[in-house]
Amino acid sequence: MNSNIMVVAHPDHPLYMEMIKHYRVRTIDEALNTYEPCDLVIDLSPLRTQKKFLFLKELAKTTKAKMITDLTLSWGEWIFKYAPQVGGAISTLFWAPSNAFEYSLRDPRDADLKKAIDDFALIMQMKAIEHKNLALSFHYPRTIAMIINEAYFALGEKLTTAEAIDLAMKNGVNYPLGPVEWGEKIGLHYVAQLLEELNTITRDDRYRLSTELKLHAFKNL
Amino acid sequence: MKIEKVIVIGTGTMGQGIAQWFTQQNIITEMVDQNYEFALNGLGKIHQSFAKLEANGKLTALDIQTFQKNLSVKRFEEIDPRASLVIEAIIEDLGAKKKLFADLDVLMSAETILASNTSSFPITQIAQNLSAERKKKFLGLHFFNPATLMKLVEVISGMETDRSVSNALISWFNARKKVACECADSPGFIVNRVARNFYGEALRAVESYDENKCREVDAVMKAVGGFKMGPFELMDLIGIDINYSVTESVYNAFFQEARFKPHRLQRDMVAAGRLGKKSGKGFYSYE
Repeated sequence: MNSNIMVVAHPDHPLYMEMIKHYRVRTIDEALNTYEPCDLVIDLSPLRTQKKFLFLKELAKTTKAKMITDLTLSWGEWIFKYAPQVGGAISTLFWAPSNAFEYSLRDPRDADLKKAIDDFALIMQMKAIEHKNLALSFHYPRTIAMIINEAYFALGEKLTTAEAIDLAMKNGVNYPLGPVEWGEKIGLHYVAQLLEELNTITRDDRYRLSTELKLHAFKNL
Repeated sequence: MKIEKVIVIGTGTMGQGIAQWFTQQNIITEMVDQNYEFALNGLGKIHQSFAKLEANGKLTALDIQTFQKNLSVKRFEEIDPRASLVIEAIIEDLGAKKKLFADLDVLMSAETILASNTSSFPITQIAQNLSAERKKKFLGLHFFNPATLMKLVEVISGMETDRSVSNALISWFNARKKVACECADSPGFIVNRVARNFYGEALRAVESYDENKCREVDAVMKAVGGFKMGPFELMDLIGIDINYSVTESVYNAFFQEARFKPHRLQRDMVAAGRLGKKSGKGFYSYE
């Protein structure tokens, strides 16, 4: 157990079961209310930019520890700019077929945080792939979310069946998974939240959510 | 469904691949091109491919002898009007396709199925000038490159296509280790539509040309996403001009839907003559 590290995560996180074997894992409320001493916070809360910022700001009042935060659903550049306590960002919320995740460092020369991310990856039996100069979003989640969204637009228009879309993408362009099964692995609610966040930040209609995806992603509107 | 003879019109990369695949199913195949010499050149490339497959132990000399006997080049006026299926794989020019099919409608027997390998034009639109009976036997058969290896065939029914024809073809392909997926007649069909943002989002991630950023996106999509190639490597392989053209086509066919909007970097790369591997330089250099 890495006693000097506090991990903040929701049980819905894809790595949750593995994380609780190795780390002291706290919910958002616990993290804000326990004031437990630690040297490093790894925050994997699935929050969008504004909520993420507010949470990190409150958390900074309880600890001076360095922070690595998951920005899969958040505007990375903005968080780096306005949340100075965050030294590193990772993207672990979207299930990935290759057991790897992206990370970005505020200061690429920060050897301590780089080692902390490498250690986390090692314990999770994953590979950490560097993403320099994090801007709007990490590469993998934004791209796969758009592909999944298009598959749901196609389904909504009755272009074909979900099975045919998956078969076509695997056999026509060698995708490792079909977009519909991929979306189910990631969790459509996360895909939808990322696209809504990108749409909110950019005001670009390209990130408009398919109603079919929305229908499957959210039980409550 | 019984398919005894297939005519492939257009002998570029796709036409060659389609002709080779049908030949390897032991079906008599005729290759036709507007330019006869070009068709002969295509035939030569298929023979080279057979030789490579023999060298790799994937085909026997006897296989090749049979295939070569079944595969021939014909002039348009020499094609057999009783062929079971004609597949068009000419350039993506709607006018040229419509004219070709109008000619085939007159020339071919009433039983012949006519199909287009178009990747961008609506099947119903290509069939516009065909006779009512022929429209029932007209559909899209969209193969993927290389057609001999890629299993997918998108089977697209136009508004007037007789579903029993498309269903029979789906069963026929599936029985021969192709994966035939039926889809409606909509821009980009399945793959060229759903895959658009593999490229579109990557282009927005880099915004302006930066080779290191392209490498980073490619590395992430392979290492994290499990894709065999990254979006920039793939655009270079396909041809940036071809990819840009498909993007524009889908974008316009969807009445300028924002999700399909091309990126200025695609336009700029094409304007600079950086078309990818084929020109020696694209997002990466191959010189």
